[in-house]
Amino acid sequence: MSDRIEGVKKLFTSKSSRVDTNRGDTYYKELFARCQARLDELKAEQPVNNRVDISEMLETQGVDRRDFMKWVSATTAMLMLPSSFTPLVADAAMLMNRAPVIWLELQDCAGNSEALLRSDGPKIDEIVLDIISLEFHETLQAASGHQAEKQMDEAMEHFFGKYLLFVEGAIPMAMGGHYGTIGASGETFHDHLLRAAEGAAAVVAVGSCATFGGIPAASPNPTGAVGVMDVVKGKPLINIPACPANPANMVGVILHYILTGQVPELDSLLRPKFAFGYRIHDNCERRAHFDAGEYVEEWGDVGAKNNFCLYKMGCKGPMTFNNCSIVRYNEGVNWPIGVGRGCIGCSEPDFWDKYAYERPMADAKIKAPTGGVEKTVDEFGLGLLTAAGIGIGIHAAASLAAGKKSDDESGESK
Amino acid sequence: MRPGYKKVERMNGTMRTIHWVNVTSMIVAIATGLYIAHPYYQTFMADGAVDKYVMAWNRWGHFIVAIIFDVTSIIVFYLSFATRFLEKKPYEKDLPSGGNIREFFEVFLNLVTLNRRKKFDSSYLDSFNAVYFTIFHLLLAWMLLTGLQLYVHGLGAGVSSIGSWWPWMLHFITDWTIPVSGGSLMDVRISHHYTMWWLIVWVVFHIYYQVWRTIYWNEGDISIVIGGSKYVKDEES
Repeated sequence: MSDRIEGVKKLFTSKSSRVDTNRGDTYYKELFARCQARLDELKAEQPVNNRVDISEMLETQGVDRRDFMKWVSATTAMLMLPSSFTPLVADAAMLMNRAPVIWLELQDCAGNSEALLRSDGPKIDEIVLDIISLEFHETLQAASGHQAEKQMDEAMEHFFGKYLLFVEGAIPMAMGGHYGTIGASGETFHDHLLRAAEGAAAVVAVGSCATFGGIPAASPNPTGAVGVMDVVKGKPLINIPACPANPANMVGVILHYILTGQVPELDSLLRPKFAFGYRIHDNCERRAHFDAGEYVEEWGDVGAKNNFCLYKMGCKGPMTFNNCSIVRYNEGVNWPIGVGRGCIGCSEPDFWDKYAYERPMADAKIKAPTGGVEKTVDEFGLGLLTAAGIGIGIHAAASLAAGKKSDDESGESK
Repeated sequence: MRPGYKKVERMNGTMRTIHWVNVTSMIVAIATGLYIAHPYYQTFMADGAVDKYVMAWNRWGHFIVAIIFDVTSIIVFYLSFATRFLEKKPYEKDLPSGGNIREFFEVFLNLVTLNRRKKFDSSYLDSFNAVYFTIFHLLLAWMLLTGLQLYVHGLGAGVSSIGSWWPWMLHFITDWTIPVSGGSLMDVRISHHYTMWWLIVWVVFHIYYQVWRTIYWNEGDISIVIGGSKYVKDEES
């Protein structure tokens, strides 16, 4: 019973998805002073291990100061801060190497590491991510075996209570967690994660697998995969879902941490509101076609050639929270709807089962409430209606056959 | 009036108006809702987008009837406690008292025995129908909450034409529907669509049952919702 009371309490006090972009002058003045003090403190500290200087790095990559400042002001806006914060955000980007990061890779495809590293430019987001002090990254590091484990232990000990733990990939829980083991000692992903999380200042789950279980957790979920938030308790936790997570949002979260020393404001699924506060649909470049009723009816038709709305091809933008319609991918080059295919809702829980079927929801095969049989909502509804119709038909026929007799006999009934 | 029968006033003008407003709202909500779920007719390709605005009009119609439906539901909820038109307030028929439970099963038995057994007073609202109407209002409340949750995200910037209190309030009273229906906005969406089918089934049985009562009870029940009254045998005559 007390469990239930707790559950109800949690339900009605959980964080709202409401976005508040203007908190008033007093709030921002106070925040500005706090951020400035924190940055001064960080400036006094030495960079942890990664001694790469961002200004040098930008210069060698051919990014001039003006481009960098353009990126900074866009990032300031993305973090929902007033433009007066731009110099602070620039400072924070310079100080990215003060944040020790440990990166774990669990049950996934390494797509988020790919996103982190993607270097077709490299673009400023990726350069800034190169600057962070990545103390441990299973996929990227040269060390292996006992050596790698030693390195992780050292990093965890040295930066105890200070490092940000980035987790990529789901945690398999079935069969005692033995679907995924790591290292020479055969530690399960579950134990590995809990050990690394212990000394973390905050845990950042990156990508849909780490946040909600993602594709490994898709029905029937043979490995019993779950997300980090189902396993790690009692730590500040930030979810950056999407498949892969947008490097702009990873940078945003780290920058926010450097700038304020806190986790950004989160929604009920622990996603930062600056990135996941809005629906894709509301900022979509094809939105006007949605309102007009102009849809792509089949691939390659006139509508497709005219960039019509992809809703009838199964676009899930109206039910998906993410900022890819604003910041796009690869430094604003393009994004799924921009290339002419619908959104599959990759930043939402259970997206593979509930979003990614590439049909309008009304046509999707989803589990009927009775369980087991997969039906579309409308098939289920029609079934329900048929059952009701048959019941009524039987009752009506029986009533007709039995006649209007009532035991309340008074000669009136026929 | 048939000799030996007396007239029983059951629904006043307000209640009947609300009933038919609800009927209209529901038909419009289903027609537009199905379009929103899966646009089932196409627009003329050659027309300019600004002249069409087809989805926008469907959504507009859906929201308008939804709000009307919400308001009438709130009035009905209020009336079920406060009406002075009926001797017994409708909510009293929902309470799980011994008499109500007995009446509920008697009315149910009357239905399944094809009117061979009728051991209750059919002049006023009975417990069976009271519970059935309550189910309708619970389904409607769920539609209201899930619908407003789906709607409020369109006001993403936290402002609306009637002020910022409106999205604030909608978030406050409907955000919990996301975890309850399964964790994502899509679950709310699926639940909203499922509930439509339950409402349609509800309506189908409702219409059948009122017609059946009219035919088998011989008390003119169907005219309650048009003329406002029915007829029952006058015990005194």
